[in-house]
Amino acid sequence: MLTMERLYTQAAERPEHTALVYRDERIAWAELVERVERLAHGFAERGIGAGDAVGLVLRDDPWFVTCFHAITALGGIVVPVNPAFKQTELEFCFHSADVRGIVSDERTAGVCERIAAGFEHPVEVITTTAAHGQALTLEELIERAPAGRLAPRDPDEVFVYQFSSGSTGRPKRVPRTHGQIAAEGVLYGELAVTAADRVFSAIPLFHTWGMGACLLGPTVWGATLVILEDPNPFLLKRHRALELLERERCTVFPGVPFHYQLLAEAPGHADLSSLRLCFSAGTALARESFDAFGEKFGVLVRQLYGSTETGFLAANLDADPVASFASVGRGIGAVSFAIVDDEGAPLPAGEAGEVTVSSPAMTDGYSDLPEVNAEAFAEGRFHTGDLGVLDGEGRLTITGRKKLLIEVGGYKVDPIEVQDVVEAHPSVAEAIVVGVPGSTPGAEAVKAVVVPAEAFEERALIDFCRERLANYKVPQQVELREEIPKSPLGKILRKYLV
Amino acid sequence: MDVATDVEQFILSEIMTGSATEQIAPDEDLLATGIVDSHGVMQLVAFLRERYGVTVHDDDLTPENFQTIAAIGAFVERAKG
Repeated sequence: MLTMERLYTQAAERPEHTALVYRDERIAWAELVERVERLAHGFAERGIGAGDAVGLVLRDDPWFVTCFHAITALGGIVVPVNPAFKQTELEFCFHSADVRGIVSDERTAGVCERIAAGFEHPVEVITTTAAHGQALTLEELIERAPAGRLAPRDPDEVFVYQFSSGSTGRPKRVPRTHGQIAAEGVLYGELAVTAADRVFSAIPLFHTWGMGACLLGPTVWGATLVILEDPNPFLLKRHRALELLERERCTVFPGVPFHYQLLAEAPGHADLSSLRLCFSAGTALARESFDAFGEKFGVLVRQLYGSTETGFLAANLDADPVASFASVGRGIGAVSFAIVDDEGAPLPAGEAGEVTVSSPAMTDGYSDLPEVNAEAFAEGRFHTGDLGVLDGEGRLTITGRKKLLIEVGGYKVDPIEVQDVVEAHPSVAEAIVVGVPGSTPGAEAVKAVVVPAEAFEERALIDFCRERLANYKVPQQVELREEIPKSPLGKILRKYLV
Repeated sequence: MDVATDVEQFILSEIMTGSATEQIAPDEDLLATGIVDSHGVMQLVAFLRERYGVTVHDDDLTPENFQTIAAIGAFVERAKG
């Protein structure tokens, strides 16, 4: 069943049941579907139709949810991006996707207008409010467009573009179809979540983990989504997070290790006795965080595994997850894992190698990159770039990374992308970007090791980076060296840089 | 130098290191704009302890106390008694 059909099902079966909670607002399934219908018809009136990509630059709120479903329901391709992105990053995403429209809020309307002006074809910017003099707002579109059942989509139509660093190199556009997203919905249906559940949303909805667990999951389960408003910086929002978890009697909490660690360290106590399922993804959960959260709140955090290319793949559903806490569990449904060596040959249980996977929910490949796809999707399996081991019962444990991504507060930072920016600065002759231990367990910080070309000023370099990269990608440490350590064959010796 | 100006200078020089921004309005939202993230909050906590001897307790780690430079200044004044 495709996503909009699932929404219609929820609206028919539980029209008055709350679909979304945001601040003091409660939106029932029937109301959400009506808003999605009206907005979809409104987008269509503005000339957005099947196959048109639409950028979504919104914080997590009901507008995000409504726009996401409306764009895809009318056959458009939703392009959700991090609203913290700088202009150059947004430009890259929107030009890559060749968007026909951009939805933004008052924080990003100005930059989106500038980006839209750079397209050869018209790109309409539609905002949540009438900031920056925009003539058209989402509210106006909804008010003047009629409700009315939307036509079913074709499973092969593209549903979403997301961006991934993949196993190597720079951001790549990842298209996934309605059929693939529907298949991911089936996988979420395998989790023991029902319409009686209340899902706490603190992970960004633009991210594949947020999209899956907080947008797709509830359309399958009929569960209520409780959205933590403006969750960053989470260090300052943890009181609010605990308040919402307790007040709304949330039962399911998809998060990242950073969330569980900070909540475990929060002062005082909250009654989270309603909470029964916590799924941690994005990066490995430290034992320290697992123990601390479990001891404080009485809930054991289960690790879950997925990627932008594949969506949700595996979850630790063991009855007692203490012994297997480090495992991300078994492949869900039709997902199948294989561990391979450097030559691509399968390895037996117990031997570590690269994790490859096949799933009905995974993309067919990156857009416009046939050579990369030939390697990354060889023989119909996605080569994740993660290193892992399967036990004799099919449980997967991630042991490391073949690729060089840096984990910063739940985000993956591609060092090559940062390195490109650092090396573009005129006072830098050569640079390598690496991850170094961060301030919380399991977290990393971005470090640039720089060989200066001329009079070098760290501040000027950081300024340069800040203008071009989202804040979490900007190096927190800069080290100057006379040369980058390399092996006799010219391979960079990263172990001497961290 | 008053606390607000001192905090502004710290944010400009240490958290927004090298930024072309030369000043931050006292009521500018540091959190919504992403100027201060979780790491930045920890930097500010260390700065307030070293500079003013103010211990930021976990209960003080709220958006209200760190939303703006004015709010941080007011928090420091209250903490100093």
